[in-house]
Amino acid sequence: MAAPSYGLIATFDTTPDLYHAAAKVRDAGYRNWDCITPFPVHGLDKAMGLPRSIVPRISLVGGIIGFCTGMSMIWWTGAVDYQLIVGGKPLFSPMFAFPVSYELTILFTAFATIGGMLFLNGLPMHYHPVLKYEHIRRGMDDQFFIVIETRDPRFNLANTKALLEKAGGKNISELEA
Amino acid sequence: MSSTHAATASSALPSDTSTAATATKALTVGLVGLAVTALGVAVMPDRHGPVMSYLVGITFCTSILIGMLMLILIHHIVDASWSVVIRRQFEHALTSFKWLFLLFLPLLALAWVKPGFVWPWMDLTHELHGHGTVGTDILYQKKSGFLNLHMFTGMTLAFFASWVWLSARLRKASFTQDSDGDIKWTFMNRKTAAIGLPIGALTLSFAAIYWVKSLEYHWFSTMYGVWFFANCIRGALAIGVIIMIWLWNRGDYKGVLNTNHFYSIGMLAFAFTVFWAYITFSQYFLIWNANVPEETFWYNLREVNHDGSTNQWWYVGLVLLFGHFFIPFLYLLSYKHKVVHSKIKPIMWWILAVILVDMCYNILPALKDGHGDSLPFLSLNLLWVLTSVVGIGGVCVWSYLKSFPTAKLIPIRDPRITESLTHHE
Repeated sequence: MAAPSYGLIATFDTTPDLYHAAAKVRDAGYRNWDCITPFPVHGLDKAMGLPRSIVPRISLVGGIIGFCTGMSMIWWTGAVDYQLIVGGKPLFSPMFAFPVSYELTILFTAFATIGGMLFLNGLPMHYHPVLKYEHIRRGMDDQFFIVIETRDPRFNLANTKALLEKAGGKNISELEA
Repeated sequence: MSSTHAATASSALPSDTSTAATATKALTVGLVGLAVTALGVAVMPDRHGPVMSYLVGITFCTSILIGMLMLILIHHIVDASWSVVIRRQFEHALTSFKWLFLLFLPLLALAWVKPGFVWPWMDLTHELHGHGTVGTDILYQKKSGFLNLHMFTGMTLAFFASWVWLSARLRKASFTQDSDGDIKWTFMNRKTAAIGLPIGALTLSFAAIYWVKSLEYHWFSTMYGVWFFANCIRGALAIGVIIMIWLWNRGDYKGVLNTNHFYSIGMLAFAFTVFWAYITFSQYFLIWNANVPEETFWYNLREVNHDGSTNQWWYVGLVLLFGHFFIPFLYLLSYKHKVVHSKIKPIMWWILAVILVDMCYNILPALKDGHGDSLPFLSLNLLWVLTSVVGIGGVCVWSYLKSFPTAKLIPIRDPRITESLTHHE
C-alpha cells in the first residue's frame, strides 16, 4: 500500500518477554516508541528508560497560582475595592486570607494536575493508528505489543525489524498511518 | 523471589557485638546527660529552669515513642503492607516506655513534695500576677475537678500503664509470630489496634493537656491534643527514616528496603508536615479571630512583654512557622529528596530539632520574671534542654539497642511480608 507507514508493531506473549525486549529497544536508543499491555507492568517504565513525569511541576505551578489568587483576591476586595472593617480586624491580613488561599491552592493544584496529565498524554485522542491493527484487542486481554514509530530518528525499516526480531517479537508488521 | 529475600534477611539476624557496644555507649551518654541535668537542678540558683527543661526533654522523647506506638497501631488497623519491614524497629523502640515512666517519676514526686513548682495550679496559695491566688481563681475552681494532684497522678500512671501494656501486647504477638508463623498473632495485633487507637488518642491528648497545656491553666484550646499528635507522628517518622538509613548503611537492610519504602515514609512525613501546619495554624487563627483574652494571653506571652516590646519568643514562633512548616514542606515536595538517602536524612534531623523547639515554645514561656513576662528563649535553659534530651534519649536508644538483637530484623512470617519486600509505587 502506498499510504505512509506509522511504525512497526511486534507481539510478545509474556510480561518478562516484553520487559526484556523493552530494555533492548531502550538500549538501542529509540525515543518514539511505546509498549501496549493489558495491565500495568511494574518496573516497565524503568525498562523503557522513561524519566519521571513532569506533571508534579505543572501541579506546583498550579498550586502557586492558586495561593497567589486567593491572597490577592482577598486583598483586592477587602483592602482596595470595598474597604469594610469587620470584627475590628485589619482590612487585610494573611491570617484570614489563608483558609481561602489554602483551598484555592488545592483546587488549582488539582486542575493543573489533571490538565497537565491530559495535555502531556495528548488526550483526548479520537484516533490512533494502532487501533487499525487487527490483533490489537489482544492487548486488552493476554498479549503485549511494542510499537516503534517511523518518526523516530533511528527508525530504519530493516534494522528496526531486525531489532524487534532479536528481542523476541513475533508477527512483526507495519502499521498504517 | 521474596522467600529468598526473607531467608537472607533472617540469616542476618542482628546478634553482633557491635550493637551491644553501641548500647553501652548510649547508656553512658544518657546517664552523663541525666547527671549533668541533675547537677543543673542542684547548683542553679533558680531551679525552675533546669526542671522545666527536663519537662521539655521528657515530653519530646515520650512524644516520639507515642508516635511510634500510634504508627504501629495504624499499621495493624488498616492492614498495611509496605510498612511491615519497618514496623519491627518501632516495636524494639517501644521498650523505652517503662524507662520513660521511671524518668518521669522525679517530676511526679516533685509535684507531691513541692506542689506548684512546675505546674502552678497544684499550689492553691500560688500568687497570680495581679489577681489573688489559684485557690480563689474562678477559672481554677471550675476546672479543679480535672486539675488536681490526685487526678494528675492517677492519669499519668494510667498513661504509662496503657502505653506499656499496648507495647507489650504488640511486641509479644509480633515476636512470637517469627517463630511459629501463626496467623492468630496478626488477628491479636488487629484487636490490640482496635482498642489501642482510642486509648492512644485519649492518653496522648490528656498527657499533652496535663503535662504541657496546664502550665497555663487559664488557657483554652481544643486543638492541643491534635497538635501534640502531629508532633508525635512527625518525630516517629523522622526517627524511622534515620533508623532505616542507619541499618541500610550497616548492611542489615540491604535487599530488604527499596526506593519505594523511602518514598512512602517520605510521603507520610510530608503529609504530617501539612497536618501539623493545618492544626497549628487553626489554633492560632481561631484564637486570633475570636480575640478573647482568656485565649489570646497565651500567644501574647509568646510575642510581647508587658511594656509592648517584642520578646524572643516572637522570633521562635517565626522559626516554627518557617522551620517546622515551609522548609520541610518545600523540601519534601521533591521525589528525589524523599528517596535519596543523603537527601532525606538531613531533613529528618531538622524536623526532630524543630519539634524540640516547638516543645520549648510550648513549655518554657511558663517561666516568668517579676513582671509576668516570659523569660527569654536564649538562655542557659537551652543547655538543660539539651542535656535532658541527650540523657533521656540516650536511655531510649540503649533500650532500643538492647531489644534489637532479641528478634529478627524483620517480621519474617508476617502474612504481608512478601508484599512489603516487593513494595512498589
